[in-house]
Amino acid sequence: MIQIEPNPWQTMVLHAERTYPNECCGAMLGRVSGDQKVVTDAVPLANAYLGEQGERYELRPEDLLEADKAARSRGLDLIGIFHSHPDCDAYFSQTDLQNSCPWYSFVVLSIQRGKFDHANSFLPDLEQTRADEEELIWPKS
Amino acid sequence: MAKILIPTALRQFTEEKDAVDVNGGTVAEALTQLTAQYPNIKKNLFNDQGRLRSFVNVYVNDEDIRYLDKDATKLEGTETISIVPSIAGGAIGVAEPAAVSLSNEEIARYSRHLLLPEVGMEGQLKLKQAKVALIGAGGLGAPLGLYLAAAGIGRIGVVDFDVVDSSNLQRQVIHGTSDIGRKKLDSAADRMRDINPNVRIDKFDTGLTSENALEILKDYDIVVDGTDNFPTRYLVNDACVLLKKPNVYGSIFRFEGQATVFAYEDGPCYRCLYPEPPPPGLVPSCAEGGVLGILPGAIGVIQATETVKLILGVGETLKGRLLLYDALNMRFRELKLRRDRNCPVCGDHPTVTKLIDYQEFCGIRPTPPQAAAPIGDVIDVTEVKQKLDRGDSFVLIDVREPYEYQIARIPGAKLIPLGELPKRLSELDRDADTVMHCRSGARSQKAVDLLKQNGFKHVRNMTGGILAWSDKVDPSVPKY
Repeated sequence: MIQIEPNPWQTMVLHAERTYPNECCGAMLGRVSGDQKVVTDAVPLANAYLGEQGERYELRPEDLLEADKAARSRGLDLIGIFHSHPDCDAYFSQTDLQNSCPWYSFVVLSIQRGKFDHANSFLPDLEQTRADEEELIWPKS
Repeated sequence: MAKILIPTALRQFTEEKDAVDVNGGTVAEALTQLTAQYPNIKKNLFNDQGRLRSFVNVYVNDEDIRYLDKDATKLEGTETISIVPSIAGGAIGVAEPAAVSLSNEEIARYSRHLLLPEVGMEGQLKLKQAKVALIGAGGLGAPLGLYLAAAGIGRIGVVDFDVVDSSNLQRQVIHGTSDIGRKKLDSAADRMRDINPNVRIDKFDTGLTSENALEILKDYDIVVDGTDNFPTRYLVNDACVLLKKPNVYGSIFRFEGQATVFAYEDGPCYRCLYPEPPPPGLVPSCAEGGVLGILPGAIGVIQATETVKLILGVGETLKGRLLLYDALNMRFRELKLRRDRNCPVCGDHPTVTKLIDYQEFCGIRPTPPQAAAPIGDVIDVTEVKQKLDRGDSFVLIDVREPYEYQIARIPGAKLIPLGELPKRLSELDRDADTVMHCRSGARSQKAVDLLKQNGFKHVRNMTGGILAWSDKVDPSVPKY
């Protein structure tokens, strides 16, 4: 189960809506205890995909390294990656799966016509062959 | 000693240490030391062949070892080594069609399909790779959405701008009572996702227009028409012909339905069957004429069947055959259809080569109702109520049908159905203060026009009809 607190959630939705119609991406920082994850900070990161960004994203490893350092300095963990699917369902596509990493929760935000619509979280496996859906709780308001 | 920084996610394998000191002359040796010390971390970094996993990047200080000497990169012992995953993704999978396969969950879910030789694994994979556009999430869209999702269509685009109303629930079974007031798009997508989470649903919160139709439909293999009006039907048809995509057609009226497949291979299109739209108002919509709630179920399921057959490439489709269904007498009939060589869209020498203004084509003027009814010719429901209460001398005429009168009426109104009005004018006084009303105000406006043409001087239309009466005057009068 991954729970996102109001502040980081607002950051994520805003980043996704502002990046529309392109895909956005970013890192989620927080705390883990067993299967329970709580996201307390969200860090918007640049989409480094070279080419049409409406349907693709790529994270710069350097940015991820920075996010990991930021987490350490705040006494938090880098626990997840978020990205958006503009005008598309929040599912875990083959592209998402084949470029995933099993160390993190992957939250996908569906942005329909520029507005947040719904979101899902996925846990990809080591072999990048499947991703299980993870219970996602975000502030409803 | 070089230092390996451990990503937070992997610290569970390093006794929560965020850095591990290692000796070793190369990156490979350093990593071997790390995995020797903490064996559980190994499978996260290396695959079964002992190679670094594709998503693992190793940095020495600020340099990616891919641009140095890979894992033979030499270490002096003062470096900081970072393990950073490479992460990317995207809504559209470039490798998706090739990579398609069924998970164990899907194999269990579709087992009754897989048992059919006509479907089988090959057919089910075709369904998974198929992209179907569904125009409308209403009467026909409801069974279509349910069954296409359940069948495992990989991607379904739903186009609808409407909101669920209680009068929809008698037939639009994809929506429930708790969905009243929600967007049909949201309500339908939730239900479809619940039936089959493997389906990707693209939501288009808009009406289909000449401006957006080609853009929306171009990404889909098949278009299924679940619309309820002529302009959109011609628009869907023409867009399908222009994009060379089959149009799975269905329509319903009262107890009768039709279905066929247009614009498929050498078959006809909708315009070959109906070159011209009917005059506006001649064919009532379901909202005006009523419809048996089950009827769209039957027709929508026929459309879903044809869609699945087109994808699988099995059986005989309805191409060139218009299937007519009469629910009241429970009969199916068929009409043969041929492509018209002179069809303006799909004929040998088409004259319609891009999308046109379909409202205009169907004779629907975009003029707002206020312009059609000059001020002074209309009266508000509250004013009618005041006149009734004061006992004013005036005539209130209800131009609806008798069966509508049985559902709801305004006390004191005289019933003269619009169709009977021309021959019953003698019952009315040309000089009397006269107010006409119907359900929503459309038919009574025609009645006002008719009376004025016949020399009535003081005749007005009650705006909003009995629906407005229920909203503003007497909520106990039911809306239908």
